[in-house]
Amino acid sequence: MATGNWRLIDVDALDPENAFPAELLTPQFAPVPLADIQALANHCRQSLQRGEQEEALLTALKNVPYGGDDQGKELHLATILEILSSIKQAEMTPILARIYSSPNGTELLDALMKYLYKGMARHNASNNGTPGVSVHATGASSVSGFGGATREFGVAPSRGDGGGMSVLLSWHEKVVDVAGTGAIVRVMTDRRTV
Amino acid sequence: MSQSLRPYLKCVRSSLTAAISLSDFASQIAERHNVPEIEAAKSPEVLLNPLTISRNEHERVLIEPSVNSIRVSIKIKQADEIENILVHKFTRFLTQRAENFFILRRKPVKGYDISFLITNFHTEQMLKHKLVDFIIHFMEEVDKEISEMKLFLNARARFVAEAFLTPFD
Repeated sequence: MATGNWRLIDVDALDPENAFPAELLTPQFAPVPLADIQALANHCRQSLQRGEQEEALLTALKNVPYGGDDQGKELHLATILEILSSIKQAEMTPILARIYSSPNGTELLDALMKYLYKGMARHNASNNGTPGVSVHATGASSVSGFGGATREFGVAPSRGDGGGMSVLLSWHEKVVDVAGTGAIVRVMTDRRTV
Repeated sequence: MSQSLRPYLKCVRSSLTAAISLSDFASQIAERHNVPEIEAAKSPEVLLNPLTISRNEHERVLIEPSVNSIRVSIKIKQADEIENILVHKFTRFLTQRAENFFILRRKPVKGYDISFLITNFHTEQMLKHKLVDFIIHFMEEVDKEISEMKLFLNARARFVAEAFLTPFD
């Protein structure tokens, strides 16, 4: 054990008393199978095709797959982004106000806020390194039939105008107008990540 | 201000306002120490979820909050190699004088050009909305500054080239 830099060994980390169990930080959820998320995505898309954007958004926000794996979460994110981009600028505030005044509305808008931040972070993850690209690409391409979101949000970075971002930014502005900065605080403090 | 800059800055402003809710928090690891928890990263329970705000793939802000400090990292728009160099020189100039800026971090977070570290001691001495204003103002100005520097650089290069090549005319 005569290593030169034994002073640099973090002895506290070796003490089992100090080990912080990971399950205390991340709440446990029952795993959500990918098929369920896919079914939900199909359901939301059918609502969109019937022109019921608000219905689709509500369904997607009420069934957030906190217990899903990464691929499932990516899929749900793509579903939500597809719904968000299909709603017109003028309809955002009325829809948000209706959701906010509904029972459990704060919770729903918090979930929406989480997806807005995740949507903005996803592009960076896929641009920072190649692994991100492949994860996103496989996550998107392995699931047939949500081409809308892939077209809208997957191609936007290569066009270089950040088309998807302006949608997310304007949604963010509207959510803050309706729900206040508390929604952002709850995104930061909530350990249930989307 | 351009059309897409306004919602971007508004988003950064509201996110910063939410994130700068800091309180004094002594280290749980070392007795009688008080360190920015986001930098120490020794107690995972006091670190909060990081927020990313991006305008496009070249411009983004990363906010990493914790109980007594937040780290704000900015990626400045760089369209070509000249802007790369200019941004590097500019941020180097600033970070070498970091103690005069109080909240500036000496080294940017990986993947970003410049970082700020705001602790509870800063929010005790300075007004929170002024701190947010400062960062927003910085983000507004830095783009202008870089494109101005690029114009000057090109003008100077053209002048030098002309002066140099005149004898061979």
